[in-house]
Amino acid sequence: MSIERFLDNSISSWMAGDGEHSDIVMSTRIRLARNLNGYRFPLAFTEDEAHKIDQSVSATLLDANEDLQMHFSSIQIKDLSELSRQVLVEKHLISPKLANSPMTGSALISDDEAVSIMVNEEDHIRIQCLFPGLQIQEAYKQADAIDRVLEKEVSYAFDEQFGYLTSCPTNTGTGLRASVMMHLPALTITKQMNRIVTIISRLGMVVRGIYGEGSEALGNVYQVSNQTTLGKSEEDIIADLQSITEQIIQKEREARNALLKHSANTLEDRLYRSLGTLSYARIMTTEEAAKCLSDVRLGIDMGLIKDVDVTILNECMVFMQPGFLQQYAGTTLNTSERDIFRAKLLRERLQQGEKTKTKGENSYDV
Amino acid sequence: MICENCKQRPAKVTVTQVHNGEHFERHYCEVCANSLHPFYVEYKHDPLSLHQLLTNWFNHTDQQPMQHIQKKTPLECEVCGWSIQRFLDEGKFGCASCYNSFRGQLPTVFKRLHNGNVAHVGKAPGAFGEKIALKKRIEAIRLQMKDAIETEKFEEAALLRDEARELEDQLAAGGEEKHVD
Repeated sequence: MSIERFLDNSISSWMAGDGEHSDIVMSTRIRLARNLNGYRFPLAFTEDEAHKIDQSVSATLLDANEDLQMHFSSIQIKDLSELSRQVLVEKHLISPKLANSPMTGSALISDDEAVSIMVNEEDHIRIQCLFPGLQIQEAYKQADAIDRVLEKEVSYAFDEQFGYLTSCPTNTGTGLRASVMMHLPALTITKQMNRIVTIISRLGMVVRGIYGEGSEALGNVYQVSNQTTLGKSEEDIIADLQSITEQIIQKEREARNALLKHSANTLEDRLYRSLGTLSYARIMTTEEAAKCLSDVRLGIDMGLIKDVDVTILNECMVFMQPGFLQQYAGTTLNTSERDIFRAKLLRERLQQGEKTKTKGENSYDV
Repeated sequence: MICENCKQRPAKVTVTQVHNGEHFERHYCEVCANSLHPFYVEYKHDPLSLHQLLTNWFNHTDQQPMQHIQKKTPLECEVCGWSIQRFLDEGKFGCASCYNSFRGQLPTVFKRLHNGNVAHVGKAPGAFGEKIALKKRIEAIRLQMKDAIETEKFEEAALLRDEARELEDQLAAGGEEKHVD
C-alpha cells in the first residue's frame, strides 16, 4: 500500500465523529512504550542497532495480519519529504520526535489509520491506538493485542521491580499513556478550566492544550492523560481516566446548559458570527480558524447550528494546519499565502458540507 | 511595548513557552493573555504541579535532590557507559541495563515522578508474568498458612506449607509450570 493515501486524505478513522460522547470527546489515544533486550535506547544506540530493531519489529507485525486482523504499511522516515513528515504529524500518525529522527525512525500504520507503531522514536517501540470518541477500554484492548503479538516474537526489556523499562523515567512501569482529546468550549468560556486543571493534576492526571505550542489550547481542545505509570495497573489507569473524563463531560454539559439558560442570545450570536467568518473570510490564521471551528462545533452540538456536518469540522481542524495546506496546494506557501489558502479551503469545505453533508474525501484532488 | 496579538493595548504579560528545549517569549496585554492562555496563571501559582517539579529538577534549578543523589558513589552503566550524572542531566536512560546499574538511586527518582510509587504493578510479558504470578501465589499461601497457624488449624497449615514448597521448587526450576495431573 502506498504512502500517498495517508498523505492525501485528511480523514482518519479517529475523526469519524462517532463513538460515545463524541460531541465532547473527539478521540481516545492509547500509547504503550516498549524496548527490546540487547539494544541500547535510541538516545544512545548506533544505526546498526536501529536497523536490527526495525527489522525484527517490522517482520513480526507484517506477519501478524491474521492474528490481528489488520494490515500495516511500513514507512521509513528517511524516504519521506519534510512536508510529508509534517502531514503525518498533523494527522497524529507519527510524533514530531519521530519525524525528526530521519536516519533511524520508521512507522507501521494500519490501513484504517487507527493503529500506528513507531519504531525507534524515544523508545524502540511505541504502539499507538487512536479511536474516535470515548473508547479507552477498546483502544487499550487493541494496543494490548498488538503488544501480545510482539512479546511472543521479541524479548522485551522488563524488570520485576520497575516493570517495562523505558528511555524516559516518566514512562517506566506500564509504559502506558492513555489520553482523551476533549472539546471544552463552555468550560473555557465560563473560565472553569483553571480549577479543573489544578484538581486533575492532584489526581495523577495532566491536562494540556493541544494543536498549539506548549499549553496553548487552540480551538478549546484539551488533552487529558495519566501522568504516572508506576505503581498503578493498566486497568486502574484506564478506570481512573475514564471516571475523570466522565466527570469533565458532566461539567462541560452543565456549563453548556448554563450558557444556554443565561445568555442564549449572546451565545447564538457568537457562534453564528464564527460560522459567518468561516463561510466568508478571505484571510484566516490558524488561531482564528481554530476559534471559529470550535464555536461552530459547539453550535452544532447544542442544536443551535443545523445543516453543518460535524465530521467536516474534525477534518477542517486537521487540514487547516500548515503541513496539510501545503500538501493540498501542492507547493510551499509562506505564512500569509497560507492564511489566504486556509480561508479558501474552509469556505469551500463548509459550503460543500452544507449542501451535500457527505465526507467528500477527494474533493481537493485538483 | 504593544501587545503582540491585538497590537493595540500595551503589553503587560510576558508568556515564556518552552518547546523542545527552546524558549519563546511572547508579550501580550491582559485581555489577549487571558484569552490565549486561559489557565496559564494558575500554573504559575501552583508550584507543586508535577510537571513543573520535573522540569525544575532536570534543569538543575532545584539543586537539592541532585546533590542528594550525587553524594553517593559516581556510577556508570557498564553496557552503555552512561553515568548517573548523565542520566540526571538528560532525564533519560541510555539503555535497559542503566536501571540495574542505578537501581539503588532510582526509588528517589521514581518517588518524585510517580506520586511516591517505586514498584510496577500491572502487566508483564509472558515468561515474566508466570514467574511473578507464581511469587504472588506463594506469598498468598504463606499468608493463609500464618492465619491457619494462628487459629490452630495445623493440618491445614501443613497442607499449605507443602503447596508453597512445591511452587517454590517450580520457581527455582525457572518459573516454568510443571503440569502435574
